[in-house]
Amino acid sequence: MGLVQRVLESAGIPTVSLSMIPDFTRAVGVPRLAGIAYPMSRPMGRPGDATGQRDVLRSLLEVLASATTADAYVELPFTWPETPAQARKGSDVHPPIAQLLARKPWLLPRLYRGEIPDEV
Amino acid sequence: MSNLEVDDRMGLRDAKIDSYRYLDFATRQIIKAWVKREAQEKRPIPWTPMTKPLAECTIALVSTAGVARLEDRPFDQEGERRNPWWGDPSYRRIPLGTTEKQVKLYHMHIDTRFGQEDLDVVLPMRRLGELADEGVIGRPADTHYSIMGYQLRPGVIEGETAPAIAREMKSRGVDAAALVPS
Repeated sequence: MGLVQRVLESAGIPTVSLSMIPDFTRAVGVPRLAGIAYPMSRPMGRPGDATGQRDVLRSLLEVLASATTADAYVELPFTWPETPAQARKGSDVHPPIAQLLARKPWLLPRLYRGEIPDEV
Repeated sequence: MSNLEVDDRMGLRDAKIDSYRYLDFATRQIIKAWVKREAQEKRPIPWTPMTKPLAECTIALVSTAGVARLEDRPFDQEGERRNPWWGDPSYRRIPLGTTEKQVKLYHMHIDTRFGQEDLDVVLPMRRLGELADEGVIGRPADTHYSIMGYQLRPGVIEGETAPAIAREMKSRGVDAAALVPS
């Protein structure tokens, strides 16, 4: 996401991004960033919570409007009402890379180092 | 106009959000390794100033949740199953007004139930319309965009997909963009 943001900004479009992993997005280097302490898969808030989603979006756009220099970073003040375990409950996510690494754990260092093979 | 405090890079010392709180153990280790690597790149950060007030801007959204309209080409999940190091680097247009009933989320690394139940969880087009009604922004763009966020080798998305989205946004009169992760 950070790389896409950088390309849009470089092309002359002012951008802001939201991130649940702001450490990572900041490390990539983006012009305007809002960090949020929400779990993955629910960046804007809970399904059906229009008020909460609107508050997040309004705050995100405030960062777009108010930032004055590159690498602007704001932590949004919203909190999530569940513990990590509660937030993960019922989640059924099995990305192919996790299945591959479970079979071939010796490939894990390649993922750490970003040495990505062309094919399996 | 903002009561939020905008930090510069030095602001890291004040960072309070725990980026790893909601990640499982394995993902946490991987992201930490990537943060270290990315930070070493020290890329110059691009900057385009806002040229008009937010209340006059046309705003477009970009979601990384792999959202595609049902009648559109799906993101290539089969390709990723064949080669788990690869993620579909293409993008889809999502017209304003599209609802969760008209799309599917194809990202295999996120729990798609939430965005599938309420699209505004990942692509808040309705919320953007409401903020236009409130006068916070000028108007939502007619077209919004989705990519699929799992990109271990970002060459195509950086070199082709993102430039194509940028060209489209400019030709459609978009003044600024907000990117929503997943």
